[in-house]
Amino acid sequence: MNLSFFVVLSLSGVFLSALISFISAKGQGHRAVVTLLALSTGLGAFSSAAFLLSGQSQLTITQSAWLFGTPFVLSVLSALFFFLLNTVACLASVYAMKYVEQYTEVYNVRVLDGLMAIFVLGMQGVLLAGTPFGFLVFWEIMSLSSFFLVMADKEAASVRAALFYLIMTHLGAGAILAGFMILSNGSLLESFTRLAILAQHLPPSTLFGVFLLFLFGFGSKAGLVPFHVWLPEAHPQAPSHISALMSGVMLKMALYGFLVMTFTVLPIGSSTAALIVIALGLLSAVYGVIYAVIERDVKRVLAFSSIENMGIIFTMLGVAMLTQSQGMSAFSHVALGAALLFAIAHAFFKSGLFMGAGVMVHAAHSRSLEVMGGLSKRMPAFSGAMLILALAAAALPPFSAFMAEWTFVQNLVANLSTMSPFIQGVLVLVLVTMALVGGLALFAMIKLFGIGFLAEPRSEHVAHAKAPGKLIAIPIYLLAACSVLVGLLAPAILRTIGYGDLTVNYDLHTNIVLGGGSMNPGKLLALLVATFFLVLLLRRVLSNVKHEREYHTWDCGQPITPGMEFTATAFSASIRFFFRVITRTKKNVITTPIIASNPWIASRTFSLELRQIWYDDLYVPIQNACLWTSTQVRKLQNGVIQFYIALIFIALVVTLAIAL
Amino acid sequence: MNSFLLTLVQFIAVILVAPFVTGLVRMCKARFQGRHGASPFLPYITYATLLKKQMVISKSTSWVFRLVPFVVLATTLFLVCVLPLLVFGGAFVSLGHFMIVAGVLALGAAFLVMGGLESASAFGGMGASREMTLASLVEPAMIATFATFSIVTGAFTVDAMFANAHILTSPALIPAIAALIMVALAENARYPVDNPATHLELTMVHEAMVLEYSGPYLAMLEYASAVKLTIFSLLVANILFPMTLAVDATLVAILITIAYMIVKVIVVSFLLALLESLIAKMRFYRMQEYMTIAFFFALAGLVFALIHITL
Repeated sequence: MNLSFFVVLSLSGVFLSALISFISAKGQGHRAVVTLLALSTGLGAFSSAAFLLSGQSQLTITQSAWLFGTPFVLSVLSALFFFLLNTVACLASVYAMKYVEQYTEVYNVRVLDGLMAIFVLGMQGVLLAGTPFGFLVFWEIMSLSSFFLVMADKEAASVRAALFYLIMTHLGAGAILAGFMILSNGSLLESFTRLAILAQHLPPSTLFGVFLLFLFGFGSKAGLVPFHVWLPEAHPQAPSHISALMSGVMLKMALYGFLVMTFTVLPIGSSTAALIVIALGLLSAVYGVIYAVIERDVKRVLAFSSIENMGIIFTMLGVAMLTQSQGMSAFSHVALGAALLFAIAHAFFKSGLFMGAGVMVHAAHSRSLEVMGGLSKRMPAFSGAMLILALAAAALPPFSAFMAEWTFVQNLVANLSTMSPFIQGVLVLVLVTMALVGGLALFAMIKLFGIGFLAEPRSEHVAHAKAPGKLIAIPIYLLAACSVLVGLLAPAILRTIGYGDLTVNYDLHTNIVLGGGSMNPGKLLALLVATFFLVLLLRRVLSNVKHEREYHTWDCGQPITPGMEFTATAFSASIRFFFRVITRTKKNVITTPIIASNPWIASRTFSLELRQIWYDDLYVPIQNACLWTSTQVRKLQNGVIQFYIALIFIALVVTLAIAL
Repeated sequence: MNSFLLTLVQFIAVILVAPFVTGLVRMCKARFQGRHGASPFLPYITYATLLKKQMVISKSTSWVFRLVPFVVLATTLFLVCVLPLLVFGGAFVSLGHFMIVAGVLALGAAFLVMGGLESASAFGGMGASREMTLASLVEPAMIATFATFSIVTGAFTVDAMFANAHILTSPALIPAIAALIMVALAENARYPVDNPATHLELTMVHEAMVLEYSGPYLAMLEYASAVKLTIFSLLVANILFPMTLAVDATLVAILITIAYMIVKVIVVSFLLALLESLIAKMRFYRMQEYMTIAFFFALAGLVFALIHITL
């Protein structure tokens, strides 16, 4: 069987669904479009999975005459990301079928579907393109279509977020373009393999500059602090299946670009470059997780959690670069494998959580966690899937992300004693920061699930919420199942994506084996399940299961109302207090005495302002400086034509002086 | 077969002795405070009574509330299977990797927190919020402690770490053990982190979360915390005296290790009660200081260990 044919078929299917949605009449064709999209992305997922399992290292799809002969190729790395993209896109399309129909008054369904198909096509192209030119074309298609998708509901906040996103993403794209220009000496039609050869001849300082450009370009797309400010604005504003695609997959495109450029195109960099990546990664992880803990908007919590996850992945990449620059290629290889495994885990659990957030928002008519609660009683199966996804996102055993963290930490601890003191210091910092981030990530996820799903509903809308329909729920169930399976099959996955040397086959199972430690996910899950059933059995044997009655919660003699429950603000109060140096939140309590004689009897109003310190302290000054400069420049425009002619003349002289 | 037998002995011995440890700590504390105190065997009767009682389930709760006691007790029993408490070289020691131990502890804490939130009362929420804060801040200290043990001994499972940890030859272990004790106090909700005997809402952490549980579910949660206390008591004792653990499954060796276990839990319970009688509980909003101290102890151990190896 020729797999490349199926990949082309998948691309054409996605393109066709975009076409159909734009030519179809208003209010029609939605189901046809998303069905076609789901089928063609499903085909893409299957063909890339078949390619990965076949063990080939490269697959040439086509060498198209248009796009100036850009070759379309699939390597193991791009096939992995192609698989993630198509799987998530396929499930997102299924989810979109009913989800979008709930919001026909809000969204222009035809445009939404069409843009989604173009968005998916853009990402597919980014992964397949073999030249900077093709890469950039599809990168722009992806960025522009997601820009329009962010403002799909046409609200003022969405338009603002989208414009912010547009500016940031184009600054990033500009940096990537500049990087390619410098590398290829002005020609964008060379292939990446040729670029790698050209890069060998450039001086180290130029290469470092190119690296910084790529880091800014891909880092701003991946949401690395301090280039992240657009992400928590833009991702939550998009419809939920688009948020899932943006957070679960689009961030991976930035990761893919960064991986290809730093590890295959650019020669092995200096340790300074690696330290910059580690610093940005750790900063993103810490900053992202703290805001994920204190945020109260369910989709913003997930967006900040994505910043944290990308921070962890980039930290792993930075460690890989650092050890590579020190000549420890075995260590670097393992760190890369852990980063890829984490990326796979993240694609599944974050897409699932964003789609689930769509269901929560639909039930509560609001994105605020403060009005949710009680959903687990009203939608038990759905809440079970969300619990699994939340625990997976918190990197708890035996779920997917834990296996990646295990691989990384095991490798780090096993080799720590053999390194130079400086590297040891860096790695110890990485280790303890990742432990802190892991603890706080658990906090964020338990807050999301505990406040959103448990106890009594905090609003009327939630109290009457109904369980989501099958077509909306099934993609979420599948993604939860994937999060369990990725954990269970982590050794097999590592083997498939080219890290077979980390695994050892036994009769019935495969273990990850690293520096003296070994991990058998199947045994771990089996023992956890076994102890669970032992407890279940003991409970049935030792006590009467039926012997119970229902009553309200103990209330100290005063009826309990949902207003007395802990909210997301209250739940995260201690973390906000402990990290107040970083978050600098503003708490306002206004006390107005009701009786003049007794100050204790008073009505109190509480408000809490979450500040975005990077935005306030870095972006606002830049913005003000730009506005000030343009105000100064505007003084030139004084309406005197002689002055304008003089300016043109000066410009000409300066240009000639530079050119000659 | 040998290893299975060893694990079975450890499993049965620990789950049988657990209520005694809780009772003993309470009795010792009562004696220090000048009271006579109840018999150390009282918890056995308490749990048996609770198992017979009718449960009252709050109307506000969902299926998660019912899942919590099972998961919390199961994670605790998982730790009994994988950690070196009475014996070295049990059947599941390969699952005793320090990351798994930390992760399973966090899993149990997470479910306990959800149980607290389910009650829909301010008490449950407050306890949940506090417990979640403690569980997340204890993580760096725990990982750094275990990393120190791992670097000193070259092993990754807690079993192998303890078997090879010779405290006299590796002084780096001393701050790590101090950190381990601080982590153990925090994990078990003891002084100075939490007051296990309290029913004052200002000081409650663990008690506030289980407030809405009754009957068999309460017995399961209380039992889980008793087992956890036993686990950590034995861990702290075993790192200092690894020679008291059995390595082969002969009758004599098993009897000796069980005798040692009883001595160890009596000594640790006495010391824990002494500590709880000597110091006051810390204010909750100063908890980050306690966690920071534990973390820096662990980090000091890690740095010493790395220097020791490099030299």
